[in-house]
Amino acid sequence: MIFDRPTSIELIEAVIDFLDSEIKSELPPHLAFKIRIVTNVLKIVQREVNLGDQLSEEAKKLIADAIEDIQDPSMNKFAEAIKNGNAELNKESLKKALIEITKSKLSVDNPNYSTYKKLVE
Amino acid sequence: MTEDLSSKLFSSLSDSGIHGRIEDLVPLTGGASKEIWKFNLVDSKESTRMIFRRGAQGESSLAIKTADEAKIQEEVSKTGVSVPQIIFVSNDSKLGDAYVMKFIEGETIPRKILRDERFKSALPLLANQCGEEIAKIHNTPLDNLQFLPKKSSKALVEDLYLLYESYKQPSPVFEYAYRWLKEQDFGNFEDSLVHGDFRLGNILVNESGLNGIIDWELAHIGNPIEDLGWMCGNSWRFGNSQMVVGGFGNLEDLIAGYNSVSAEKINAELIKTWQVFGTFRWGVICLMQVYAHLNGTVNSVEKAAIGRRVSETEIDIVDLLLLGGK
Repeated sequence: MIFDRPTSIELIEAVIDFLDSEIKSELPPHLAFKIRIVTNVLKIVQREVNLGDQLSEEAKKLIADAIEDIQDPSMNKFAEAIKNGNAELNKESLKKALIEITKSKLSVDNPNYSTYKKLVE
Repeated sequence: MTEDLSSKLFSSLSDSGIHGRIEDLVPLTGGASKEIWKFNLVDSKESTRMIFRRGAQGESSLAIKTADEAKIQEEVSKTGVSVPQIIFVSNDSKLGDAYVMKFIEGETIPRKILRDERFKSALPLLANQCGEEIAKIHNTPLDNLQFLPKKSSKALVEDLYLLYESYKQPSPVFEYAYRWLKEQDFGNFEDSLVHGDFRLGNILVNESGLNGIIDWELAHIGNPIEDLGWMCGNSWRFGNSQMVVGGFGNLEDLIAGYNSVSAEKINAELIKTWQVFGTFRWGVICLMQVYAHLNGTVNSVEKAAIGRRVSETEIDIVDLLLLGGK
């Protein structure tokens, strides 16, 4: 990486802190609600920058285990294999891939979501 | 804008024989795709609280005409469903696709209903009441509702899949759900009026429980169990996921309420099948909203954020189909 600090994550964190501590309290309720959406979006970006590469690599391995002879595993190819009937739907490795990849998505998109919390406990 | 609307409302209502001044006209933040205003209609004897509801530009393509919602509310009120009384339906260019109904008291905001002290006594009654009201909706004669879209369960699944496919964002979980749904028996029922979006947010709740049903824009004719499965989806439990029905009740009470009114006897397994369908449906509606933003139809950070909520419906489907979730 050729860039200086702050890192991209640190930049996003600074913006989240600013919105939370200085802006939110100054706004009327309907805009405070929108700012909450904005900080939630930034937190998704923050988590994706932190975890995204690792989770995507793990997903590729899970997909390769689930679908025989798959070249260059991706979410598109995984979906296509299920659609075309090239995947054995009852196979444990397929179920595992669906479960684990979906959990990975939630760990970035919304780790507070009730079903995610239930499943990782 | 408010003054202009006020004078248009006054003249349209007068033309149809409803006389009175329009006072305290203010917009409400309601559904995302509708304009909703409240006002008082004041004549020499009394002041009556009213709601004006109008379809907006860029509305969801799944929604029916706003004026048609009024026709449904008139029909279901005849079978005893609690709905606001319609007093005027607009059929001219002055007010557009809109109607006026009497105000009914009640809270719609889910988190308030689930958490405020005021509704403590209402919550235990609500699942049974919802079952009864949904059954009454399904008992509504269809003779005057033939303008509504009508679909078999199989066609509903196919159409939903096509809509999902049109966004070209392949989801392994949705593909899996589709293959599962294609194998299911959805139950043989007579065609019924389906509300299409029955859940907290679209019902009015007071201290005694259910006081009215609103937001009929996704109504259609089809398999009645769709409504029951929809409101059991985890997306509509608002964090109270252990309470299967809407975040406040259990399935037994919902079914008991339904069976006390309906001649069709239903069971939990069938509701679960429709719950999977409903969860997939909500996921596709989220896709639809985010692509309205990505295609440039609307530019909105809220709609952008919804794109990352599609995965919530995926994890709910995974939980239901692979991990024994309820």
